Amino acid sequence: MIHFLKQSMAKFREPQRQSFLGPLETSVMEILWERGESNVREVVERFDRRLAYTTVMTTLDRLFKKGLLDRTKVDRSFIYSPKLSRKQWEQKRAGELVAGFLRGPEPFRELLLSCFLDVVGGHDPMLLDELERKIRARRRDLLRRRES
Amino acid sequence: MNLPYFLRLVCLCLASFFLLHTALGLATWQVAPAAIRLAEKMRARAAARFVFFLRLLPVMLATILVLGLGVPSYVWLEPPGMHERMGFACGAAALLGAALWSISIGRVMHAALRSGRYARECKRIGREISTESSLVPANLLDVETPLIALAGIFRARVLISRKVMDELTRGELEAALRHENAHRVARDNLKRFVFLLAPGIFPVMRGFGGLERAWARFSEWAADDQATGGDSRLSLLLAAALVRVARMGAAPQPSMAVTPLIAGDLGLPARVDRLLRGETAPPAPLWSRTALVGTLAVLASALIVGAMHWATVLRAAHEALERLLS
Repeated sequence: MIHFLKQSMAKFREPQRQSFLGPLETSVMEILWERGESNVREVVERFDRRLAYTTVMTTLDRLFKKGLLDRTKVDRSFIYSPKLSRKQWEQKRAGELVAGFLRGPEPFRELLLSCFLDVVGGHDPMLLDELERKIRARRRDLLRRRES
Repeated sequence: MNLPYFLRLVCLCLASFFLLHTALGLATWQVAPAAIRLAEKMRARAAARFVFFLRLLPVMLATILVLGLGVPSYVWLEPPGMHERMGFACGAAALLGAALWSISIGRVMHAALRSGRYARECKRIGREISTESSLVPANLLDVETPLIALAGIFRARVLISRKVMDELTRGELEAALRHENAHRVARDNLKRFVFLLAPGIFPVMRGFGGLERAWARFSEWAADDQATGGDSRLSLLLAAALVRVARMGAAPQPSMAVTPLIAGDLGLPARVDRLLRGETAPPAPLWSRTALVGTLAVLASALIVGAMHWATVLRAAHEALERLLS
């Protein structure tokens, strides 16, 4: 039961966890966005403060597991490169943030939002076609009246 | 259980609030369907106000009776400094009353914190934009989610996603912003906040879902009315904007859950039909003014009668509290 609950919670939090970066992770990403491909030592050298090699290696590994970095093995070390550009990453994060907040059983009540349209998904396309037909007919009607 | 003077007052307030609120809540729950049918005959803003008032009636009346009658009668007639025994029923009712308020306060704090965080994040990732009409402050979010909403309770601002901004025509966007501004002027987010704060009938059952959904529908209609002001061109643009935004959300988006209460197409066709039929022209507000004057007259009469028999009323209230305690 506890295992099931943990799994459910993990599924629910997955996108948020992916898009959330700690301060060290953010700094590492900044270096990689600026420098491009780098190995662990090169990232360590770019830091203003002294950091242990293993700390940076663990952080890079964590970012790789989060799906933010690609890595290729050259000789005996990994070369890391960002999967997304900074702009793409920011867009992805913003999208996940907006979608993440709107997820849940009653998101609009929990969020105190007045949405232009309550449902942002799940409208029947045929019904929308029908409504569009009505709008077009009404527009024609208004134009005709204005002309006459 | 023997309780001192002040603790007894607190327990009596909570217990009497729970009993009054439950009785009034059940009565409201019973009359709600008829009241909603009646509201459908009013103009949208008056209907929204009427349903809002009805939803809050149990909590308002119970609070007024407890604070306006229960507390003064206790302070005036209960001899201070003595311990008195509290019965099981009174204790249970007090606990349920405390649970009602705790759940409501917890719910509203959760919503306020979540909304505050959401608004802050959106402000951080978004870009402030000046809209054509500059009716309402707006933030543009560079996301693919089709979002256009008014966020914030006191200093509300519109959040528009890039997708909505790109796909709506200038006129449609203008109409949509006028609609959101109407929500801002009517302080609809504050009303949502008040709904969350108002307790349900029982701690585990809210029981006012029908009224809250009806209020949401009427407030949307009212915002449509306000936005278009009876202008058929604006009505057409708003209807087109609604359908276009609905179309954006129609593509399957696994990350976006559909709210079960409003899923399906119950709200949209009604709104579009209203706009196309030109039902949004605001009629003269004679009815609501008459209703307001009538309500004030009834309240004033009740206050005068209460003041004339103040001592008798307080004694009766104290007697009821004594019975509740034992």
